[in-house]
Amino acid sequence: MTKRFGGLTALDGVSLDIARGEFFGLLGPNGAGKSTLMSLIAGLRAPDSGTMTLDGAPLSVAKVDTRKALGLVPQSVALYEELSAEQNLKIFGALYGLRGAALGARIDEALAAVQLADRRHDPVKQFSGGMQRRLNLAAALLHRPKLLLCDEPTVGVDPQSRNAIFDFLERLNREGLTVIYSTHYMEEATRLCSRIGIIDHGKILAFGTLDELLAQLPFEDEITFPATEVTAGLAPRLAALGSVSSSRDLHRFRPHAGTRMSEFYALAEQHAVPPRLLAHERPTLEALFLHLTGRTLRD
Amino acid sequence: MRILLTLVRKDCANFLRDKATLSITFLVPIALIYIFGQVFGINRKDSGPSGIQLAVVNESRDPAAQKLVEALAAEKAFRLVTTRAGAGPAAPPLTEQDAQALILDNQLRFGVIIPRDLIREDAIGVRLKILSNPRNEIEAQMVHGLLQKAIYSSVPELLGRSLIERARQSVGGARMDRFAEALATSITNTFGGDRDAIQRRIESGDFGLSFLQRPAATRTGTNSEPSGSTSPLAGLVGIETQQVVGQQVKRPEATRVVGGWAMMFLLFAVSGSAAAFFDEKKTGIFQRLLAAPVRRAHILWSRFLFGTLLGLVQLTALFFAGRVMYGVDIFGNFWNLAVVCIAAGAASTSLGMLIVSFTPTSAAAQGVATFVVLTMSACGGAWFPISFMPEFMQQFAKFTIVYWAMEGFSQVLWAGQSFVQILPTVGVLAGITAGVMAIAIWRFNRGRLFE
Repeated sequence: MTKRFGGLTALDGVSLDIARGEFFGLLGPNGAGKSTLMSLIAGLRAPDSGTMTLDGAPLSVAKVDTRKALGLVPQSVALYEELSAEQNLKIFGALYGLRGAALGARIDEALAAVQLADRRHDPVKQFSGGMQRRLNLAAALLHRPKLLLCDEPTVGVDPQSRNAIFDFLERLNREGLTVIYSTHYMEEATRLCSRIGIIDHGKILAFGTLDELLAQLPFEDEITFPATEVTAGLAPRLAALGSVSSSRDLHRFRPHAGTRMSEFYALAEQHAVPPRLLAHERPTLEALFLHLTGRTLRD
Repeated sequence: MRILLTLVRKDCANFLRDKATLSITFLVPIALIYIFGQVFGINRKDSGPSGIQLAVVNESRDPAAQKLVEALAAEKAFRLVTTRAGAGPAAPPLTEQDAQALILDNQLRFGVIIPRDLIREDAIGVRLKILSNPRNEIEAQMVHGLLQKAIYSSVPELLGRSLIERARQSVGGARMDRFAEALATSITNTFGGDRDAIQRRIESGDFGLSFLQRPAATRTGTNSEPSGSTSPLAGLVGIETQQVVGQQVKRPEATRVVGGWAMMFLLFAVSGSAAAFFDEKKTGIFQRLLAAPVRRAHILWSRFLFGTLLGLVQLTALFFAGRVMYGVDIFGNFWNLAVVCIAAGAASTSLGMLIVSFTPTSAAAQGVATFVVLTMSACGGAWFPISFMPEFMQQFAKFTIVYWAMEGFSQVLWAGQSFVQILPTVGVLAGITAGVMAIAIWRFNRGRLFE
């Protein structure tokens, strides 16, 4: 799919195939195109080119009924804060055609799942940020969608609430719910997602399971150490073992394939570099993310 | 001191960036100052009301009656209607029945009948009849004052004629002619002057009674007793005032006032309701709604229906408060009142949505709404009769929702009109609603509210 806003190409030929029951993570920096992609899938916007299907049925802005199969957890707390938790859920449930006892049962179930049953009659504005986020999630699940779209649903949430949200989402996924989870938190993607797509500048840069993604890193380990008088002799000697990139106050060493790290440490010992100055990093999603998307600040 | 100045600079920067506050601080008061300035005639050569349509029925063949008509025509407050509309260049003159029908039909609110027997035969003096629909008391009092001024400025001549006519009846025409000739000769011999001219003045009743030109107070009612004022003319000029519309209204003052204030606050309420769109966008509720089986049209029309319902409930509640506090009769014509309230609510809601569709933020929408609502209330007749304003502003008033809502309330509560009679007014409000909503929806579909 391609989506442009004036002269800006927000999505540039993105193509994805997500399996039923998958927990798919969409990872990207600010402005990468995550929210645009989510909004296209949710039917909030129409792509300039391309199509989407859900279980073979086309998804589009015009096909309102197909949206019953989707649930969206927006980035912000999209709730009526003057109304109670129960009133909010009644409104959002009714929009999906739920009525009467069935709606009541779903509300009971959803509030229990997000641990807000005892606060059902309280206005949302009296809830903490974490409670609001949990209710935000519950509102998207009342109608039991096939596909849940979570657009950075844990922004500004305390660790306890975040953990509760993760547990809940993992349980739902185990029960068969397909989830597309947009985030820029590596630990969230690492913990939750069975497959991850890294997106930047409107393009999918990498796509696969965590192991598949890490294998794409052109290095396995990385050692950084400060650029000081103590380490001045070491850096020039490392070229035989790997690549060194140096900035004014930091050296970054990445070994060639087949190089044993013991060779590096032996060389460091020869140059009397104390081990405490050496920071050894294993390959991580964040390293891959930064490798693919760069270190330039994003607005 | 530097800290103090830095903080002041911060306040200035914030103030200048807040267009809503800027609008309320400067634009709204300037607009209201202008409107009130026009009402009170500041910088206007011709202060006072203008353009009030006045039906004039001249049944008298007396030349003095024509002079009275000319005096009324010269009064800048009035625009005379003397012939039936739409009857072409040879339109027949109005009859009293025509004038009453025009007033009942709310096409105009005042009329003067100059009867065939303008000059009384049974006594010395003249008689006139004023028809009125005093739905706005301030306007009615002012119009009556202006009418009396015009009439009394013409009356001395009429009184003289009345005296002569009365004398002719008493002593006979030939004797009266000889009397006038003898009197003119006597005056000429004693004081000098042109005998023929003096005789003509005596025969035409010109006795120099202009010192009597002092307006008398009037009173309304359907009786035909002379005006009970202390003016020297009170006993000589019989003004019959007939209230054509609203005789049955028990609390006329409250009936007139409640609608105007109710409309103004309705406009504020529905504008605020429409501005809530911005909050829903900001909180992501639009995203959630549009990700559900909900179309943009559902969101827009649900807000329109809510605004209309709010209008009905708010206006009804305020009129009910008027009934409780001042005895305004809202149940006498309740269902038609409800129809007008729905039409006014719908039109006001559409205006609120139009404002939101053209503004980028909630604060901007509130600022524009404050300006539009106050200006429209002032111009549309919610605060004072529009006849107090210059004619171009009176014409502008007809483009406002407040004007047509006030017309509707007046028709229902003051004139007790039927559903069929209020249909044109309701139709105008419905037309405004349709037109404004069409523009608003066009703007919403092109704007960024749902992005």
